[in-house]
Amino acid sequence: MISLYPLVYNVVLSTRYDVLTQPGTSHFVGLGNYQQILSNAHFWADMGRTGIFMVVSVTLEFVAGLILALVVHQQFKARGLVRASILIPWAIPTAVSALLWKMFFDTRSGFVDFALHALHLPGANMVWFNSPTLAWVPIIVSDMWKNTPFIALLLLAGLQTIPLEIYESARMDGASAWQSFRSLTLPLLRPAIMVALIFRTLSALLVFDVVYVLTGGGPGQSTEVIAYYDWYKYLVSLNFGVGATVAVIITIFALALAALYVRLLQQRGEFLS
Amino acid sequence: MRELTKFRRSSLGVLGAATLTLTLAGCGSSTSAVAHNVTLVFATQGLGTEAQATNAAVAAFEKIHPHIHVQIETLSASSNNAYQSLVTDLASGSATPDVITSDVIWPATFAAAKWIMPLNQFHPKLSAFFPGMVKAGVYHNELYAMPWFINVEGLYYRTDLVKTPPTTFAQLISDAKSAMSKNPKLMGLAFEGNKYEGAVTVFQDVSGGFGGAFLNAQGKPVINSPQNIEALTWLDNALKTGLTPQAATTWEEGNVQQAFLSGDAVFATNWPYLYPLAEQTGSAVKGKVGFVPPPVQNGTPTASLGGDSLVINKNTKYPQQAWELVQYLTSASTMMHRALISGDPPARTDAYTASLLKTAPWFKQEEAVYKYATPRPVTPLYPQISAKIQEALSAVYSGQTTPTKALDQAQQAIQAILNNNGN
Amino acid sequence: MKTWLGRAGFNILVVLIILYSLFPFYWVFKSSLESSIALNQPTSSIWPLQWTWVHYQVIFAVENFLRPLLNSMFVAGSATVISVILGSMAAYGLARMPIRGKVLILGFILLVSFFPQIAMVGPLFLVFRHLHWLNTYQSLIVPYLILSLPITTWILTAFFSQIPADIEEAAMVDGASIRQTIVKVFAPIAMPGIFTAAILGFLLSWNDFLFALSFIQSPNMQTVPLALVNFRNAYYVHYGQIYAGVVVASLPIALIVLFLQRRIEAGLTAGSVKG
Repeated sequence: MISLYPLVYNVVLSTRYDVLTQPGTSHFVGLGNYQQILSNAHFWADMGRTGIFMVVSVTLEFVAGLILALVVHQQFKARGLVRASILIPWAIPTAVSALLWKMFFDTRSGFVDFALHALHLPGANMVWFNSPTLAWVPIIVSDMWKNTPFIALLLLAGLQTIPLEIYESARMDGASAWQSFRSLTLPLLRPAIMVALIFRTLSALLVFDVVYVLTGGGPGQSTEVIAYYDWYKYLVSLNFGVGATVAVIITIFALALAALYVRLLQQRGEFLS
Repeated sequence: MRELTKFRRSSLGVLGAATLTLTLAGCGSSTSAVAHNVTLVFATQGLGTEAQATNAAVAAFEKIHPHIHVQIETLSASSNNAYQSLVTDLASGSATPDVITSDVIWPATFAAAKWIMPLNQFHPKLSAFFPGMVKAGVYHNELYAMPWFINVEGLYYRTDLVKTPPTTFAQLISDAKSAMSKNPKLMGLAFEGNKYEGAVTVFQDVSGGFGGAFLNAQGKPVINSPQNIEALTWLDNALKTGLTPQAATTWEEGNVQQAFLSGDAVFATNWPYLYPLAEQTGSAVKGKVGFVPPPVQNGTPTASLGGDSLVINKNTKYPQQAWELVQYLTSASTMMHRALISGDPPARTDAYTASLLKTAPWFKQEEAVYKYATPRPVTPLYPQISAKIQEALSAVYSGQTTPTKALDQAQQAIQAILNNNGN
Repeated sequence: MKTWLGRAGFNILVVLIILYSLFPFYWVFKSSLESSIALNQPTSSIWPLQWTWVHYQVIFAVENFLRPLLNSMFVAGSATVISVILGSMAAYGLARMPIRGKVLILGFILLVSFFPQIAMVGPLFLVFRHLHWLNTYQSLIVPYLILSLPITTWILTAFFSQIPADIEEAAMVDGASIRQTIVKVFAPIAMPGIFTAAILGFLLSWNDFLFALSFIQSPNMQTVPLALVNFRNAYYVHYGQIYAGVVVASLPIALIVLFLQRRIEAGLTAGSVKG
């Protein structure tokens, strides 16, 4: 019940003018905040950027996660080591891993610079954080490093439920590895894939730590995402009315994803294994 | 679920107690056996030598006022965090902290929210203080903040590379270029270009030099004035023409410091704190440093004002004692001692005594720059206005837009902020 | 020939994966041993150029990094203990419940776990301000409970459901009281599940940045991620200290993962927890 309280509180706040640095001016404004936000180009720009980030980061992480899962699913000597080593980045706090990548992309003593130099590739001495497009690279790399293992683990669990005999019989029928992957693995993995995608999409929608630490939304506002915008409204502008309005909008998107997840679980006919 | 809530609450009681013991254990270092009638909480920033200076001043104050105990609460070194923590304390109506170290850009916000006490009632004597510094603490004709130490964004130059400091921007460029042509490893000008407050102070220096301002005398935004566009174009060109390295677009004071102290920069914008560091033994630029007001082109020399002042919480239980502390900390002799320990430049002219100048001769040059100290707009909405300027600067430096377009956009946004429908 | 190539390719892939996961840690460790002078050079190398332990000395002796470590442990630890206790009770009830009600309640719990963290920041801030809780341990323990409780309950329900009710019934038939049954029979079987839920709950709280950033302001109340991000004085960011801090902050996590990898994986898949 305690968890529902913020939700209700946000809805109430979103109908009020409430700025902390202007005590005594709080009053009811109806849907005024929504009108203001929905007609605000800055808000839509941030929504658009968040959308693009969701698509790009989730796609990349999914592909990388699938490859990771397929590799770890094989039997080989260093399997335990690999599984542990991919889990470590996942377990590091997001803010700390973002900090780590921030220093990696630094123009002085950063690793990326060093590696590009050593390999004689272009881009050494590049100021990553001063480009509206390239500034996304550290953000996405950092996000991938941290979150790919999570997708990989969910997919791995899915892979392990597929009985090996199916592959045996497929091979006997003369199917190539690629064919059996496409017509057997992928369909059977579908539920796990959906779960992984929904969770990642949710957290990409809410991405904050990485952006705050790496770019602060800059240069200009070219890496500003919706959660950052909301945080800024709440805790820098101290404008709780508008902050709550944005929060309600984000919540609606998040709950839509939740509904999708619940439907998926129901389709599977199971809430729990 | 109901039972759960109950359980949660009672367990929180236990946690609260645990918290208390932990906090008390943490405070164990500040021992004082004397019973004090009044305890003032003094919230202040500053680590290292600055903390030493504060501790020394507070100890001396306690000696004179044995009935007052001052408890120092250290705020985060990051200006944003310190601001946020003060806002939450003050907005909650808390009686503490009683006395607060405030960045020069905060008093207007605090005063407008009625969180801090007007100080005219104590009849402060202000004639000895730098006028710019006093102005930063005045909101609606009432003084809310006592200047504590001054800070200005000035121009450092290398006396071995530049014979006479430039007075115009064109001169600065030609001086830098001639030094760079002799030594191609040099950068002409190092400045703070990251998307943060420091970039705004650099921009204010240049803007003022070109005759621009952020708000006009009526408090209306004039951010897209031709002078400001000229100023921003000048800074942008410095980046484009290689006078300043691209990397400066991510630089804050520390990076500029690094560039200048290592001897890589002909000119650098920075605050006075850098001077003693440059004159330290082992510094690559020891004895080759000058500090001057930024140059001009049709404008007046402008050195963006930083620094800290002291404000009093409106809900303090001990206004009189709080004022006594403020008065003590802002006295000429306390400021002079602070300057000796930490290098923080006094906010009043009579603290620049012969003995101070003898130990720290650079204060002489610094004092000449303080004359041109110009506060950033004194308005409760400054944080939001600054955020828009930061965005504009960053968008231009990263090549996303032109100075004209960026400043037009900032003008519109700031207009909206001041009209109170968006920020 | 083809299999040989495939094997080599596969091995290379494995090496690449390990490098991708772990090399950044090596680089951080290497940089944490590098002198500030070398760190400020435009070039770097694969080995430290000028060895020094000074950054580690500074973060503990000067910056008091122990404090955020203890803060984090206390806050995350408290939240974990409370949420595991509450979660176990809820999960036990749920696991032994008829299926219809279970689906409803679990659906609700799930919904709560989808509730965006950023949307809680504002309301909680105002509530904590009202209670004078900002900048206290409670202001983190309570939000961390909100974060971890749904997930621990969810995981524990999954684990408990797998424990057949027959075992308890058998014990009861043998004359054991409910209490005895739970403590002596159920708990030992359930322990691995509880442990798993505890690790995940702990990591979730330990990893938070947003709540700490929003509710904690004074330097001596900071948690580890917040302290690291704020590792700087007014003007200067000390890279060496940040590198050393990242190493110190990552070490316990890396050890937890290395030793408890199986539990974490089991928990993640049992609960399909968010990352």
